[in-house]
Amino acid sequence: MNVLSVKDLKKSYKQGFIPKSTSVLKGLNFSVGGGTVTGFLGANGAGKTTTMRCILGLDHLDSGEVLFFGQPLDVKARKRIGFLPERPYFYEHLTGREFLEFYAKLTSSWNRGVLRDRIDELLRRVDLTFAKDRALRNYSKGMLQKVGLAQALIHDPEFVILDEPMSGLDPDGRLALAELITETAKRGPAVFFSSHLLHDMERLCQHLVVIKDGVGIYEGTTDALLDRSGVEYEISYLNGGQKAARKVPTQDQVQPALKELINNGAAIVEVRRLRASLEEIFVAMALKGRRS
Amino acid sequence: MRVILVLAMNTYREVIRDRILYGLILFAFLLIGISLLMGQLSFAEQARISANFGLSAIHLVAVALAIFVGSNLVYKEIDKKTILTILVRPISRFQFILGKALGLTLLILTMIVGLALVLTAVFAFLKMPLDGRLIWVLTGLLCESLVLLGVTLLFSMITRPILVVCFSFGVFLIGHWQDSLEFFAKKSGGGIAIVHFLASNFLPNLERVNWKDLVLYDQPVDTLANLNSVAYAICWFGLCIGLATLIFRKKDVG
Repeated sequence: MNVLSVKDLKKSYKQGFIPKSTSVLKGLNFSVGGGTVTGFLGANGAGKTTTMRCILGLDHLDSGEVLFFGQPLDVKARKRIGFLPERPYFYEHLTGREFLEFYAKLTSSWNRGVLRDRIDELLRRVDLTFAKDRALRNYSKGMLQKVGLAQALIHDPEFVILDEPMSGLDPDGRLALAELITETAKRGPAVFFSSHLLHDMERLCQHLVVIKDGVGIYEGTTDALLDRSGVEYEISYLNGGQKAARKVPTQDQVQPALKELINNGAAIVEVRRLRASLEEIFVAMALKGRRS
Repeated sequence: MRVILVLAMNTYREVIRDRILYGLILFAFLLIGISLLMGQLSFAEQARISANFGLSAIHLVAVALAIFVGSNLVYKEIDKKTILTILVRPISRFQFILGKALGLTLLILTMIVGLALVLTAVFAFLKMPLDGRLIWVLTGLLCESLVLLGVTLLFSMITRPILVVCFSFGVFLIGHWQDSLEFFAKKSGGGIAIVHFLASNFLPNLERVNWKDLVLYDQPVDTLANLNSVAYAICWFGLCIGLATLIFRKKDVG
């Protein structure tokens, strides 16, 4: 079952002293399946953040339909969703523990003991137990992002939406957050997150939704997108102590090629599946649109 | 209701931990201290002058909290984007505004009660008789703050904090000058009569909850009229919050 279905989403904003309408979303369609990690990919200004804000009711739609768990976004659906906005600013006057307690109380009616255990568990999961009594104004960017993820998960949601969760983080921070996203998805909730960090997307997401200029240009599995530009196989081997490689165009040709090399006395080192990276494909998709 | 209380307590905690509050407390203590000195300058009216200064200090702090903190109450949430993680929860925009307003009202109440205790000590020092009428005066101050907070929140839905402060301060001044406006309108008519008509029909009359004279001039309490004025203040607050919610529901907060 889809946890999110978006149909023909349109949104424009009026800007300037003499209001001029700028269309950001121009009929966007996509869906997110349950139990998956889905990446929401697009260049800066493509409409990723606007989409997230519109589907969550923070900004009003011009037209279109948004269904969570098959229903419009109502109180019941909101209880099942967790959200981390882009570059989040939190209540600086709160400590990490108070911050999570505040969000837990907004969504759940757990008793004091359950609440304390849940907060402790999440602080442990995001590795912030050491900073639980520190005011958020003294947190680093990576720590804020982690505690932000914890607030999105505090009420045990079935669907987590993350807007650019890795933006502005150093490599260590990105790695830690990527691990947290993977671990979150393993526990059950579907994860839908936007990013323009393509390497992370490729590594983490089973599904991708790609948008450009407010319109969806791809929706499907990450593998299908990566296979689009063609696949080939590279066999690395040692021949008389010399390293060499041979490429074959299809999987069927790998075994015969291996047999042939072995018969010729080569020592096989590695067989690799070669395909274009998500970055290369994404750039090609962007250029294709620009040229047309 | 639980959600509104959670939001209220967070707002209360946020303002309590804000430096602006301590500036206001210092200001109030300073005024109460000056009230003792000013009283000593007068031969016959020492207690009355001190009481007037002390009550004015509480009045100013309550109004300043309602207007200055109130003008930023929702604006800051939108500007800093803290509102994004709140409104995706099962919370309506009405609950959000009411929770914020309730939190600040609780803080104003705390300030009024705290400063009133200090003032009571001053009264005791001056051997000034005290009775239940002080409670009515303080209730009036709270009601006025409530009205101004509602007006401030309504303005904050349509413009920036600096203008909100200007508009709310204007409502505060006109709210206390309606009797004077009526006097001048009767005398001169014309433009002032129009201003008086608009002010008396579309702006709150804050003099209805100004009960300082009960203590300062030893006047009797008209309980029914006072309760009527409390209801008047609550209606104004409700009306402003209602209108603010209507505007807020149409707003894109992302």
